[in-house]
Amino acid sequence: MSGMRSITLGHYLPGTSILHRLDPRAKLLGLLVLIAALFLIKTFTGFILFGIFFVIAFLSSRLPWRYFMRGLRPVLYIVLFTLILHFLFTKGGQVFWRFGMLTIEENGVYLGSFMTLRLILLVITTLLVTLTTSPIAFADGIEFLLRPLRIFRVPGHEIAMMMTIALRFIPTLMEESDKIRKAQMARGADFESGNIFRRARNLVPLLVPLFVSAFRRADDLAVAMESRCYRGGENRTKMRQQQVTTLDYLGVFTTCGIAAVIVLTGV
Amino acid sequence: MLIEARDLSYTYMPGTPFQVDALKKVNMSIARGEFVGVIGETGSGKSTLVQHFNGLLKPTGGELLVEGKNIWEGNTNLRTLRSRVALLFQYPEHQLFEETVFKDVAFGPRNLGMSEAELEQRVRFGLASMGLDFDTYRERSPFHLSGGEKRRVAMAGIMAMRPEVVVLDEPTAGMDPAGRLKFMEQVSRLHREENLTVILVTHNMEEIARLAEKLFVFYRGELVMQGLPAEVFKSVDLIRETGLEIPVLSDLLQQLLRKGKDIRTDLFTVPEVAEEILRFSREEWK
Repeated sequence: MSGMRSITLGHYLPGTSILHRLDPRAKLLGLLVLIAALFLIKTFTGFILFGIFFVIAFLSSRLPWRYFMRGLRPVLYIVLFTLILHFLFTKGGQVFWRFGMLTIEENGVYLGSFMTLRLILLVITTLLVTLTTSPIAFADGIEFLLRPLRIFRVPGHEIAMMMTIALRFIPTLMEESDKIRKAQMARGADFESGNIFRRARNLVPLLVPLFVSAFRRADDLAVAMESRCYRGGENRTKMRQQQVTTLDYLGVFTTCGIAAVIVLTGV
Repeated sequence: MLIEARDLSYTYMPGTPFQVDALKKVNMSIARGEFVGVIGETGSGKSTLVQHFNGLLKPTGGELLVEGKNIWEGNTNLRTLRSRVALLFQYPEHQLFEETVFKDVAFGPRNLGMSEAELEQRVRFGLASMGLDFDTYRERSPFHLSGGEKRRVAMAGIMAMRPEVVVLDEPTAGMDPAGRLKFMEQVSRLHREENLTVILVTHNMEEIARLAEKLFVFYRGELVMQGLPAEVFKSVDLIRETGLEIPVLSDLLQQLLRKGKDIRTDLFTVPEVAEEILRFSREEWK
């Protein structure tokens, strides 16, 4: 279990807030609209308005602040990388700092902070949805939203099922890998030192058993599904019927409205 | 004392909503050459506890001492510690990964930096300690063995490090009765002949009552009872409260005792109990 500590990205946290109760389809639509808005915004004012909207949504979700920030940690490096690249290589405008060949110029600072902000907002908005939506509800929502694509023969049900299974097995495999890692460490295996090639080689005792067990689990699951006559999405009914409520309409329309306002003021 | 826990506590994922206190201020000690049992229902903290014995988990409170030294202070070499206090996890056959039995059993000793000549010695010892023939098994793939064989190969891999202590976490889970008996016989023999200290975590009360010299009973992360098996299983109500069951034979003897019969209750094998009942019946008839 200890290996799970570092991965909280998208780790659903059950609750009863408005955001938790919203229909997953409404949340997914809202998320799509907001992501689109993020890419349309051209000014910092737009980002500030977006940020205010995010803070309100975040507060209404009643997620613990520190837990939320943990989910951001894995993307921190990408954000920093973007920032540094822009600072160093985007040229133009006033020169702020010079060291030999390296310069930091006005456009770089502007674009760097702009991109970083966009990236951070993108991640935290998505995180807000994934943390308040159970993976199963999430996959159900995606299945529904993929329905119109059936005319292009997109297998919506199968995609959703694969997502559900994949998500379902992440914690299981994490636990499994933690157990195998410990079992090999108990036999003196070393996963922490040496150069990159050595480390990769040292991973063999972890990866082989992990693959073997993943295949075994997949096989068991396939048998279990088949013995319950699973045959894809055809004529399949759902145990959790999703009911669209006034709250959901309200949620989607407010989000669209606010996104529109933000984009219009921010372009 | 070989292994000693002082106010040992462990919390999973502290500071998150998923926080769990798995161990709460546990105090216990295990002497060299002992065969002890750790029992408790699922989730009572047994597995968490034993992972502290070889430094796989770092206590979040209290300390763990091996030969009087806190393993998380000073410069304890964890790898050396792990070769001295070996741990066999549940379903150990899942950790097999090499192409041949020889290579897999040699994995532990090789990590300790042994020469090829020594390796062969160690593998021979490991396989023999589990009653497996060296020449029959050395070139076989561990993935093509039967369930029971796989498990014994995994245990051989542990024994090949020549540990002073072995911690066995439910070593016979999912095995058939014959395989179970065979496995535990080997362990018991190693305990007698090699003076191996054995710490056995189990749900199987008959097994532990027969083998262990001392029992530690865990309930919801706390050590609630310890002592000789005969003493521990005397507290029938307390044992049942912790979600465990007392061995059938102890139950029988104790029911007889409660009916006012003069009978011993510290016996755990069928022949012994049969003998005792015969003895007592003869006296009764006189």
